Amino acid sequence: MTVRTEWDHKWSMVVDIDRCTGCQACVVACQAENNVPINTEDIFKQSRAIEWIRIERYWEGEFPDVKARYLPAMCQHCGNAPCEPVCPVYATYHNDEGLNVQVYNRCIGTRFCANNCPFEMRFFNWWQPVWPESLRNQLNPDVTVRNRGIMEKCTFCVQRIRRAERTAIQEERDVKDGEFAPACVQACPTGTLVFGNSNDPNSRVAQLMKSDHPRRYRLLEHLGTEPNVVYLKKVDPYLKEEAHNGSH
Amino acid sequence: MDLTRRRFLQLSGVGALGAIVFNGCSIPETELEIQSPVLIPEDVVAGGESWYASLCRQCPSVEGVLVRVVEGRAKKVEGNPEYPLNLGKHSARCEAALQELYHPDRLQQPFRRDGATGQNKPITWDEGLNELVTRLKALRDAGQASRVLVITDPLRGHLGKVTQLFAAAYGAQHLAFEPMERVVLRQAIKDVYGQDRLPHFDIGNSAYVLSFGADFLGTWVSPVSHSVAYGEFRQGEGRGRGLLVQVEPRFSMTAASADRWLPVRPGTEGLLALALAREIIAEGLADPDAARALTDGRGIAALDAYGLERVADDTGLTTYFGKERAVQLIQEVAHDFATKRPSLALGGDTAAAHTNGLFNLRAIYALNYLVGSVGAKGGVIFNPPSPIDDVPDTASGAPLSRWQEVAERLQRGEFDVVITRGVNLVHGLPGALQFQEALKKADLIVSFASVPDDTTAIADLVLSEHVALEAWGDDIPDPAPGYQTVGFQQPVVRPLYDSRAFGDVLLAIAPEIGDDLGAALPWNTMQDVVKEGAQRLFALNRGWAKATAPFDAFWVRVLGGGGWWDTTAISAQKAPGASKAPAEPVRPSFAGDASSDAFYLLPFRSHALLEGRNAHLPWLQASPDPTTTGVWQTWVEINQKEAERLEIREGDLVELVSPAGAIEVIVYPTPAAAPDVLSVPMGQGHASYGRYAKKRGANPFQVIAPQKDETGALAWAATRVVIRKTEKRTRMIKLEGLVEARQMEESPVIQVTRGEEGS
Ligand code: SF4
Ligand code: SF4
Repeated sequence: MTVRTEWDHKWSMVVDIDRCTGCQACVVACQAENNVPINTEDIFKQSRAIEWIRIERYWEGEFPDVKARYLPAMCQHCGNAPCEPVCPVYATYHNDEGLNVQVYNRCIGTRFCANNCPFEMRFFNWWQPVWPESLRNQLNPDVTVRNRGIMEKCTFCVQRIRRAERTAIQEERDVKDGEFAPACVQACPTGTLVFGNSNDPNSRVAQLMKSDHPRRYRLLEHLGTEPNVVYLKKVDPYLKEEAHNGSH
Repeated sequence: MDLTRRRFLQLSGVGALGAIVFNGCSIPETELEIQSPVLIPEDVVAGGESWYASLCRQCPSVEGVLVRVVEGRAKKVEGNPEYPLNLGKHSARCEAALQELYHPDRLQQPFRRDGATGQNKPITWDEGLNELVTRLKALRDAGQASRVLVITDPLRGHLGKVTQLFAAAYGAQHLAFEPMERVVLRQAIKDVYGQDRLPHFDIGNSAYVLSFGADFLGTWVSPVSHSVAYGEFRQGEGRGRGLLVQVEPRFSMTAASADRWLPVRPGTEGLLALALAREIIAEGLADPDAARALTDGRGIAALDAYGLERVADDTGLTTYFGKERAVQLIQEVAHDFATKRPSLALGGDTAAAHTNGLFNLRAIYALNYLVGSVGAKGGVIFNPPSPIDDVPDTASGAPLSRWQEVAERLQRGEFDVVITRGVNLVHGLPGALQFQEALKKADLIVSFASVPDDTTAIADLVLSEHVALEAWGDDIPDPAPGYQTVGFQQPVVRPLYDSRAFGDVLLAIAPEIGDDLGAALPWNTMQDVVKEGAQRLFALNRGWAKATAPFDAFWVRVLGGGGWWDTTAISAQKAPGASKAPAEPVRPSFAGDASSDAFYLLPFRSHALLEGRNAHLPWLQASPDPTTTGVWQTWVEINQKEAERLEIREGDLVELVSPAGAIEVIVYPTPAAAPDVLSVPMGQGHASYGRYAKKRGANPFQVIAPQKDETGALAWAATRVVIRKTEKRTRMIKLEGLVEARQMEESPVIQVTRGEEGS
């Protein structure tokens, strides 16, 4: 099959952390969609759980003025991705729709990319993933099961992107804003996650990503990786007061 | 050539081959593996797929879902965008319905336990039903139908109707069980608003939400619908940012999301609510009629018992914040609640789970009258009755007092046959009731189950049940979204095993037991029952699919859409108005050690496993707890400074001891716990519930003393425990690393603003 390449697509995400409740719906949605192996107790013990999207929880302050802040974190699909140039076999590269792509069958498992990702968004398959026979029925046929020795990470649900683009080709139209979403975005009940084509100035994601958005920021921006995921700041109306009170 | 990765590796060298052989038995089949070194994930061609609308049964709120089916296998559960409750969204729990369907330990056919050996032996459905029918018929013919007890989860919709009709026509007792029932909440809603069903809490349109104990973003009442509304509440377009204040002794998921967390002493929530009422009235900010009613026309003198300073002390806020700031905080909350309208007060969970639970909730819900939020946008919106009148639209578990009575009657040998469905009584009732021993007094325990749990383990007759994705059904949500709604559940895949639906079994055995039973239940299958319900909706000639005719077209349409709803069918009921507040507060009482060595025990529903219902599902076991990030285990959250004082560290195993028993849990010191409380997640501690749940963690119900509220409901937060150290240590398993996660000041990944920029 030939994939139409003249799309003017740049897939981007906005994460409004003021909405996030840490509910984990996105995390399980991703695991279901992307055939992520079951994170057993042993895997967690070795700190090798695979979560393409994870919720980081940071503490701030001390009791009683304590806060938990949530950060949904996934591959930032960096425009200037430090994971890409270090791969000796071009298993990770940037495509023309803004995605940082991992080609599983090229990957030889050097783990250089994971080492170079400042966000720790890459996961190595230390073991052959196993599911009991019956649970294998659930696996998504659109997504490859990764073998032992292979690096994996968030793909922005490339299979859903391709499905939407194929449908659009068949129907001779453009992909419509909001007509599909990666599994995490689709699940997120609070609307924290917004996904779309940022090349389309009218898309919701482009509107929210605007450089003059008062709450816009990107993760570890000073590193210059040009993340393709934009965050909107947490709002805390009691911020200064708490900082003051928390300091004694 | 179709070169699979496995073959590729086999061809490519001995080293790789060795590794493969070593792992041989666990290698998945090739179908989903990398098929070609040329194709890359970007190019993978997707096959055909179908999406079926149905309902999710992984938690009591029952969301509308769409299930993706490819080649007869269910692949993904997503929220149904049309369904009014969850509007296309869902929770982690809904996703895991697939793991229930494909659970490796599902019952594949009925079993009979051999009385002599205690071993389970597979039987046919005919054998199982023959035994059941013979037994039920004999008892009934002997005039002893009341010696049969049917215990189910709270059933709404037509399955509720069928079960009720069956029990009534047979003459059996039917009780509904929920581990943390909502008896107190329902009673308070009835007392304060005169409502039989739960109202819709209009969080999305509210400017200020004041929540007492209710973890409404986590597990309380209808968390997905609340979360959808919460997103709007925070950053919805065309509205200002809402403020959330959480009054709760535990740092729940909702407390974590709140702008302010007020960690009051357990059981003092009602006290604080009345202090707020007094302050609002004193400031002249209250609705005058409501203020008059609440104070019986006497003004704030009627609320003298709830003076600011006194309540600041009694709620413990003085201890934590210092007197001056505690008083200020109460004043600030009162002022904001009264002025940032529409505002909404809600309460439940720990606020309700005390011996004074009803006092607390009445006081909390009365606050809405003072700010004009009863029956108003952004406040409490009443729900209309079911559009099909004889179908239950609300269902609640029976209070603890009933279970105590049942346990005694079982002990006295007053029940011969106990039929359970969708309930794990052995795990979910306080250990002090010794319900397992009581149950064993019955001659025949019949358990309907899909994955055998602790209660199934003691059953004589185990009947393999369909999971929700294989069965017909419907639901009338409680609470509904403010208007009449009926959801439809259809099978999305063919049943995998030799299982049946509970409702279908009742319908099949009714005529066998007696002609009158057959006449009372004149349907063949649940599908017929649900379809008949749809026919009645069709006859109403309203709702979103109104113009669709004939009935068959309507049926296809509402099934495909996931249900029927009529946004214009709202409640016509008027609120009865506020009533007089109690002159003196009702104080909570606690079981267990009253000394300062003891802690308040606050068990809480796991965001994923709930009280244990979802413990068999690996995605949910592995889903990090939102505040601790703990997985797969049972831990106790303790204030960091207290832990230091007691010289216990993360990973230490300690025993929590109450008059009811003891459990062993893992220590997790946290900055987000009051010094005098311990919180323990529910969900684990199953003797059996499939491979992922079995013998894992501890069950807090073993230490909860059977304390009761005046409604008879279990006061599950009214136990005090002491910590007994053990010499043992383990590793607390969690997503968070070994070092407590705090941001680096020089490069914070979470940036926070006060939000003056108009956002
Ligand atoms: S976040 Fe990490 S893995 Fe993703 S593109 Fe950037 S450097 Fe690469
Ligand atoms: S689903 Fe949304 S609200 Fe829930 S944790 Fe993920 S990003 Fe946050």
